[in-house]
Amino acid sequence: MIVAELKEIDEIRKMIDRYSSILVVGCDSCVAECAAGGARETQLLAAALKLSYLKDGQKRVISEACLDRQCVDDFIDGIAEQVPEHEVILSLGCGAGVQALARVYTDKPIIPALNTLFIGETQMRGVWIENCLGCGQCKLGYFGAVCPVARCSKKLMNGPCGGSKGGRCEVDPEIPCGWDLIIRRLEAIGELDRLGEYVPPVNWSTSHSGGPRRVIREDQKP
Amino acid sequence: MDIPSNKIVVFHCCNLRLFPEGGQKEFLKAWPDLNLVSIPCSGKIEAHFLLKTLASGARGALVLACAEQACQYLEGSMRSRKRVDYARYWLEKIGIAPERIEFVRIWPVSKQALEALLKEFVLKLESLGALGAPEKV
Repeated sequence: MIVAELKEIDEIRKMIDRYSSILVVGCDSCVAECAAGGARETQLLAAALKLSYLKDGQKRVISEACLDRQCVDDFIDGIAEQVPEHEVILSLGCGAGVQALARVYTDKPIIPALNTLFIGETQMRGVWIENCLGCGQCKLGYFGAVCPVARCSKKLMNGPCGGSKGGRCEVDPEIPCGWDLIIRRLEAIGELDRLGEYVPPVNWSTSHSGGPRRVIREDQKP
Repeated sequence: MDIPSNKIVVFHCCNLRLFPEGGQKEFLKAWPDLNLVSIPCSGKIEAHFLLKTLASGARGALVLACAEQACQYLEGSMRSRKRVDYARYWLEKIGIAPERIEFVRIWPVSKQALEALLKEFVLKLESLGALGAPEKV
Protein backbone atom coordinates (compact mmCIF):
# COMPACT_ATOMS: atom_id res chain seq x y z
CA MET A 1 0.00 0.00 0.00
CA ILE A 2 0.92 3.66 -0.32
CA VAL A 3 2.03 5.18 2.98
CA ALA A 4 1.52 8.89 3.59
CA GLU A 5 1.29 11.37 6.43
CA LEU A 6 -0.77 14.46 7.03
CA LYS A 7 0.85 17.81 6.35
CA GLU A 8 1.09 20.40 9.09
CA ILE A 9 -2.12 22.40 9.38
CA ASP A 10 -0.23 25.69 8.85
CA GLU A 11 1.00 24.50 5.45
CA ILE A 12 -2.52 23.40 4.50
CA ARG A 13 -3.97 26.73 5.67
CA LYS A 14 -1.47 28.66 3.57
CA MET A 15 -2.68 26.82 0.47
CA ILE A 16 -6.43 27.08 1.11
CA ASP A 17 -6.83 30.44 2.88
CA ARG A 18 -7.75 32.16 -0.39
CA TYR A 19 -10.89 30.05 -0.84
CA SER A 20 -14.21 30.53 0.94
CA SER A 21 -15.64 27.02 0.44
CA ILE A 22 -13.56 23.88 0.82
CA LEU A 23 -14.45 20.26 0.12
CA VAL A 24 -12.21 17.94 2.16
CA VAL A 25 -12.03 14.58 0.35
CA GLY A 26 -10.53 11.46 1.91
CA CYS A 27 -9.59 8.13 0.38
CA ASP A 28 -10.62 4.95 2.17
CA SER A 29 -7.91 2.69 0.70
CA CYS A 30 -4.15 2.77 1.36
CA VAL A 31 -4.10 6.08 3.19
CA ALA A 32 -6.90 4.91 5.48
CA GLU A 33 -4.80 1.88 6.47
CA CYS A 34 -1.89 4.12 7.41
CA ALA A 35 -4.24 6.44 9.36
CA ALA A 36 -3.41 9.44 7.18
CA GLY A 37 -6.36 10.06 4.86
CA GLY A 38 -9.31 7.74 5.54
CA ALA A 39 -12.79 8.66 6.71
CA ARG A 40 -11.62 9.28 10.29
CA GLU A 41 -8.77 11.55 9.29
CA THR A 42 -11.01 13.39 6.82
CA GLN A 43 -13.46 14.20 9.61
CA LEU A 44 -10.60 15.13 11.91
CA LEU A 45 -9.01 17.52 9.42
CA ALA A 46 -12.35 19.10 8.47
CA ALA A 47 -13.16 19.71 12.15
CA ALA A 48 -9.63 20.99 12.83
CA LEU A 49 -9.90 23.46 9.94
CA LYS A 50 -13.30 24.67 11.15
CA LEU A 51 -11.84 25.28 14.60
CA SER A 52 -8.75 26.91 13.14
CA TYR A 53 -10.83 29.41 11.14
CA LEU A 54 -13.19 29.94 14.08
CA LYS A 55 -10.22 30.79 16.29
CA ASP A 56 -9.05 33.33 13.72
CA GLY A 57 -12.55 34.83 13.45
CA GLN A 58 -12.82 33.86 9.79
CA LYS A 59 -15.74 32.22 8.05
CA ARG A 60 -15.37 29.27 5.71
CA VAL A 61 -17.74 26.65 4.35
CA ILE A 62 -16.04 23.33 4.97
CA SER A 63 -17.66 20.08 3.85
CA GLU A 64 -16.27 16.57 3.81
CA ALA A 65 -16.56 13.41 1.75
CA CYS A 66 -14.63 10.18 1.51
CA LEU A 67 -14.17 8.06 -1.60
CA ASP A 68 -13.41 4.35 -1.56
CA ARG A 69 -10.56 5.03 -3.99
CA GLN A 70 -9.41 8.41 -5.16
CA CYS A 71 -7.36 7.00 -8.04
CA VAL A 72 -10.21 5.34 -9.99
CA ASP A 73 -12.70 7.36 -12.03
CA ASP A 74 -15.71 5.20 -11.12
CA PHE A 75 -15.20 6.11 -7.46
CA ILE A 76 -14.23 9.74 -8.12
CA ASP A 77 -17.71 10.28 -9.59
CA GLY A 78 -19.01 9.85 -6.05
CA ILE A 79 -18.36 13.53 -5.22
CA ALA A 80 -19.62 14.92 -8.56
CA GLU A 81 -22.63 16.61 -6.93
CA GLN A 82 -20.65 18.24 -4.13
CA VAL A 83 -17.78 19.56 -6.24
CA PRO A 84 -19.63 22.45 -7.97
CA GLU A 85 -20.70 23.83 -4.58
CA HIS A 86 -17.10 24.36 -3.48
CA GLU A 87 -14.21 26.50 -4.70
CA VAL A 88 -11.47 24.03 -3.93
CA ILE A 89 -10.92 20.35 -3.15
CA LEU A 90 -8.54 19.50 -0.34
CA SER A 91 -7.46 15.93 -1.04
CA LEU A 92 -6.37 13.41 1.55
CA GLY A 93 -5.42 11.00 -1.22
CA CYS A 94 -1.88 10.02 -2.18
CA GLY A 95 -0.16 11.90 -4.99
CA ALA A 96 -1.92 9.66 -7.51
CA GLY A 97 -5.32 10.45 -5.99
CA VAL A 98 -4.69 14.20 -6.07
CA GLN A 99 -3.73 14.06 -9.74
CA ALA A 100 -6.66 11.82 -10.63
CA LEU A 101 -9.07 14.35 -9.07
CA ALA A 102 -7.37 17.12 -11.06
CA ARG A 103 -7.80 15.15 -14.27
CA VAL A 104 -11.52 14.56 -13.63
CA TYR A 105 -12.47 17.95 -12.14
CA THR A 106 -10.58 20.10 -14.63
CA ASP A 107 -11.96 23.46 -13.46
CA LYS A 108 -11.19 22.96 -9.75
CA PRO A 109 -7.99 23.61 -7.85
CA ILE A 110 -6.95 20.44 -5.97
CA ILE A 111 -4.73 20.90 -2.92
CA PRO A 112 -2.87 17.96 -1.30
CA ALA A 113 -3.28 17.55 2.45
CA LEU A 114 -0.83 14.62 2.64
CA ASN A 115 2.83 14.01 1.98
CA THR A 116 3.02 10.71 0.08
CA LEU A 117 5.98 8.75 1.42
CA PHE A 118 6.46 5.19 0.16
CA ILE A 119 5.11 1.74 -0.71
CA GLY A 120 5.08 -0.24 2.48
CA GLU A 121 3.33 -2.51 4.91
CA THR A 122 1.72 -2.22 8.31
CA GLN A 123 4.25 -3.86 10.61
CA MET A 124 2.11 -3.37 13.69
CA ARG A 125 -0.63 -0.97 14.76
CA GLY A 126 0.87 2.48 14.32
CA VAL A 127 4.07 1.36 12.54
CA TRP A 128 4.47 1.33 8.77
CA ILE A 129 7.68 0.33 7.02
CA GLU A 130 8.96 0.88 3.51
CA ASN A 131 9.54 -2.40 1.71
CA CYS A 132 9.15 -1.76 -2.02
CA LEU A 133 10.73 0.87 -4.24
CA GLY A 134 8.73 -0.12 -7.33
CA CYS A 135 11.90 -0.81 -9.32
CA GLY A 136 9.95 -2.65 -12.00
CA GLN A 137 12.07 -5.85 -11.92
CA CYS A 138 10.96 -7.80 -8.89
CA LYS A 139 13.61 -10.29 -7.73
CA LEU A 140 11.98 -11.23 -4.43
CA GLY A 141 11.97 -14.90 -5.47
CA TYR A 142 15.75 -14.97 -5.15
CA PHE A 143 15.80 -13.32 -1.74
CA GLY A 144 13.24 -15.20 0.31
CA ALA A 145 10.67 -12.44 -0.27
CA VAL A 146 12.79 -9.78 1.45
CA CYS A 147 13.77 -7.00 -0.96
CA PRO A 148 17.45 -6.00 -0.90
CA VAL A 149 16.67 -2.88 -2.91
CA ALA A 150 14.20 -1.54 -0.36
CA ARG A 151 15.38 -3.19 2.87
CA CYS A 152 19.18 -2.90 2.52
CA SER A 153 20.23 0.72 3.09
CA LYS A 154 22.99 0.27 0.49
CA LYS A 155 20.77 -1.60 -1.97
CA LEU A 156 23.29 -4.43 -2.29
CA MET A 157 22.14 -7.28 -4.51
CA ASN A 158 24.79 -9.92 -3.83
CA GLY A 159 25.41 -10.23 -0.12
CA PRO A 160 25.79 -8.10 2.99
CA CYS A 161 28.25 -5.22 3.26
CA GLY A 162 29.78 -6.57 6.48
CA GLY A 163 28.99 -3.47 8.50
CA SER A 164 25.93 -4.68 10.35
CA LYS A 165 26.06 -5.59 14.04
CA GLY A 166 23.64 -7.90 15.80
CA GLY A 167 21.33 -7.86 12.81
CA ARG A 168 21.11 -4.05 12.79
CA CYS A 169 22.20 -1.79 9.95
CA GLU A 170 25.32 0.36 10.39
CA VAL A 171 23.55 3.26 8.69
CA ASP A 172 21.03 3.39 11.55
CA PRO A 173 20.71 0.79 14.32
CA GLU A 174 16.94 1.34 14.22
CA ILE A 175 16.93 -0.36 10.80
CA PRO A 176 17.15 -4.15 10.69
CA CYS A 177 19.91 -5.30 8.32
CA GLY A 178 18.16 -6.30 5.08
CA TRP A 179 20.70 -9.01 4.38
CA ASP A 180 20.39 -10.46 7.85
CA LEU A 181 16.64 -10.77 7.16
CA ILE A 182 17.26 -12.34 3.74
CA ILE A 183 19.67 -14.98 5.05
CA ARG A 184 17.49 -15.90 8.03
CA ARG A 185 14.46 -16.19 5.81
CA LEU A 186 16.21 -18.36 3.19
CA GLU A 187 17.56 -20.52 6.00
CA ALA A 188 14.06 -20.94 7.42
CA ILE A 189 12.61 -22.09 4.10
CA GLY A 190 15.63 -24.27 3.26
CA GLU A 191 16.66 -22.28 0.19
CA LEU A 192 20.07 -20.89 1.13
CA ASP A 193 21.35 -22.24 -2.19
CA ARG A 194 19.56 -19.33 -3.88
CA LEU A 195 22.41 -17.12 -2.70
CA GLY A 196 24.75 -18.92 -5.10
CA GLU A 197 22.89 -17.42 -8.04
CA TYR A 198 24.22 -14.17 -9.47
CA VAL A 199 21.55 -11.46 -9.58
CA PRO A 200 22.52 -8.57 -11.85
CA PRO A 201 22.19 -4.99 -10.60
CA VAL A 202 18.82 -3.36 -11.04
CA ASN A 203 18.35 -1.67 -14.38
CA TRP A 204 16.87 1.60 -13.21
CA SER A 205 15.67 2.54 -16.68
CA THR A 206 12.45 0.68 -15.86
CA SER A 207 12.04 2.85 -12.79
CA HIS A 208 11.91 6.62 -12.40
CA SER A 209 14.97 7.25 -14.56
CA GLY A 210 12.95 6.02 -17.54
CA GLY A 211 10.33 8.78 -17.08
CA PRO A 212 6.74 8.31 -15.88
CA ARG A 213 5.79 4.64 -16.14
CA ARG A 214 2.55 3.13 -17.30
CA VAL A 215 1.05 -0.33 -17.59
CA ILE A 216 -1.25 -1.17 -20.48
CA ARG A 217 -3.35 -4.32 -20.58
CA GLU A 218 -5.40 -4.69 -23.75
CA ASP A 219 -7.54 -7.40 -22.13
CA GLN A 220 -8.58 -4.98 -19.38
CA LYS A 221 -9.43 -2.05 -21.65
CA PRO A 222 -13.07 -1.21 -22.44
CA MET B 1 -25.59 19.37 13.72
CA ASP B 2 -24.81 22.59 15.60
CA ILE B 3 -24.60 22.46 19.37
CA PRO B 4 -25.54 25.61 21.36
CA SER B 5 -22.30 27.38 22.32
CA ASN B 6 -22.81 27.08 26.07
CA LYS B 7 -23.02 23.30 25.93
CA ILE B 8 -20.57 20.88 27.45
CA VAL B 9 -20.64 17.40 26.00
CA VAL B 10 -19.80 14.51 28.29
CA PHE B 11 -18.97 11.20 26.63
CA HIS B 12 -19.11 8.42 29.19
CA CYS B 13 -18.63 4.68 29.16
CA CYS B 14 -22.03 3.05 29.68
CA ASN B 15 -20.42 0.60 32.10
CA LEU B 16 -19.77 3.45 34.50
CA ARG B 17 -23.52 3.44 35.28
CA LEU B 18 -23.63 7.10 36.23
CA PHE B 19 -27.15 6.88 37.62
CA PRO B 20 -27.61 3.36 39.03
CA GLU B 21 -30.68 4.39 41.00
CA GLY B 22 -32.16 6.64 38.32
CA GLY B 23 -32.37 10.42 38.63
CA GLN B 24 -30.69 11.35 35.33
CA LYS B 25 -33.55 13.67 34.37
CA GLU B 26 -33.34 15.55 37.66
CA PHE B 27 -29.56 15.74 37.36
CA LEU B 28 -29.79 17.26 33.88
CA LYS B 29 -32.34 19.79 35.11
CA ALA B 30 -29.70 20.99 37.57
CA TRP B 31 -27.09 20.99 34.78
CA PRO B 32 -28.98 22.38 31.74
CA ASP B 33 -25.78 23.02 29.76
CA LEU B 34 -24.79 19.37 29.83
CA ASN B 35 -25.16 16.87 26.98
CA LEU B 36 -24.59 13.34 28.24
CA VAL B 37 -23.55 10.88 25.54
CA SER B 38 -23.39 7.26 26.58
CA ILE B 39 -20.95 5.13 24.56
CA PRO B 40 -20.40 1.34 24.73
CA CYS B 41 -16.84 1.80 26.01
CA SER B 42 -14.70 4.92 26.41
CA GLY B 43 -12.36 3.24 23.90
CA LYS B 44 -15.02 3.96 21.29
CA ILE B 45 -14.15 7.65 21.46
CA GLU B 46 -12.18 8.97 18.50
CA ALA B 47 -10.20 12.20 18.23
CA HIS B 48 -12.44 13.41 15.43
CA PHE B 49 -15.58 13.02 17.60
CA LEU B 50 -14.04 15.43 20.08
CA LEU B 51 -12.88 18.00 17.53
CA LYS B 52 -16.25 17.81 15.77
CA THR B 53 -17.98 18.41 19.08
CA LEU B 54 -16.07 21.65 19.55
CA ALA B 55 -16.36 22.61 15.88
CA SER B 56 -20.15 22.18 16.19
CA GLY B 57 -20.24 24.83 18.89
CA ALA B 58 -19.75 23.13 22.26
CA ARG B 59 -17.40 24.98 24.60
CA GLY B 60 -15.87 21.84 26.04
CA ALA B 61 -15.88 18.04 25.89
CA LEU B 62 -15.30 15.66 28.75
CA VAL B 63 -14.56 11.95 28.44
CA LEU B 64 -15.39 9.80 31.46
CA ALA B 65 -13.71 6.40 31.49
CA CYS B 66 -13.47 3.46 33.84
CA ALA B 67 -10.26 2.78 35.75
CA GLU B 68 -7.77 0.98 33.49
CA GLN B 69 -8.00 -2.26 35.48
CA ALA B 70 -11.81 -2.05 35.51
CA CYS B 71 -12.24 -1.74 31.73
CA GLN B 72 -14.52 -4.57 30.60
CA TYR B 73 -12.89 -4.49 27.18
CA LEU B 74 -9.39 -4.61 28.71
CA GLU B 75 -7.78 -1.90 26.56
CA GLY B 76 -10.67 0.55 26.10
CA SER B 77 -9.83 2.93 28.91
CA MET B 78 -6.15 2.97 27.88
CA ARG B 79 -7.03 3.66 24.25
CA SER B 80 -9.46 6.47 25.07
CA ARG B 81 -6.70 8.22 27.04
CA LYS B 82 -4.44 8.11 23.96
CA ARG B 83 -7.19 9.40 21.70
CA VAL B 84 -8.05 12.26 24.00
CA ASP B 85 -4.34 13.14 24.12
CA TYR B 86 -4.29 13.12 20.32
CA ALA B 87 -7.32 15.44 20.15
CA ARG B 88 -5.66 17.77 22.67
CA TYR B 89 -2.47 17.72 20.59
CA TRP B 90 -4.55 18.92 17.63
CA LEU B 91 -6.11 21.72 19.65
CA GLU B 92 -2.66 22.86 20.66
CA LYS B 93 -1.52 22.86 17.03
CA ILE B 94 -4.53 24.97 16.07
CA GLY B 95 -3.92 27.40 18.93
CA ILE B 96 -6.91 26.46 21.08
CA ALA B 97 -6.45 25.60 24.76
CA PRO B 98 -6.22 21.80 25.02
CA GLU B 99 -7.97 22.02 28.40
CA ARG B 100 -11.23 22.31 26.50
CA ILE B 101 -11.07 18.53 26.17
CA GLU B 102 -10.70 16.68 29.45
CA PHE B 103 -10.26 13.02 30.30
CA VAL B 104 -11.15 11.62 33.71
CA ARG B 105 -11.15 8.07 35.03
CA ILE B 106 -13.69 7.67 37.78
CA TRP B 107 -14.36 4.44 39.57
CA PRO B 108 -16.54 3.85 41.45
CA VAL B 109 -18.91 6.65 40.46
CA SER B 110 -20.90 8.73 42.89
CA LYS B 111 -23.17 11.68 42.28
CA GLN B 112 -20.91 13.82 44.47
CA ALA B 113 -17.77 12.86 42.58
CA LEU B 114 -19.49 13.54 39.25
CA GLU B 115 -20.71 16.94 40.39
CA ALA B 116 -17.31 17.87 41.76
CA LEU B 117 -15.48 17.11 38.55
CA LEU B 118 -18.14 18.85 36.46
CA LYS B 119 -17.85 21.97 38.61
CA GLU B 120 -14.08 21.93 38.20
CA PHE B 121 -14.41 21.54 34.42
CA VAL B 122 -16.97 24.35 34.15
CA LEU B 123 -14.70 26.67 36.13
CA LYS B 124 -11.81 25.84 33.82
CA LEU B 125 -13.94 26.53 30.74
CA GLU B 126 -15.20 29.80 32.19
CA SER B 127 -11.62 30.93 32.71
CA LEU B 128 -10.94 30.19 29.03
CA GLY B 129 -13.90 32.23 27.77
CA ALA B 130 -15.85 31.66 24.58
CA LEU B 131 -14.34 29.47 21.89
CA GLY B 132 -13.18 31.68 19.06
CA ALA B 133 -11.67 34.42 21.21
CA PRO B 134 -7.85 34.48 21.40
CA GLU B 135 -6.63 31.89 23.87
CA LYS B 136 -3.47 31.31 25.83
CA VAL B 137 -2.06 27.93 24.86
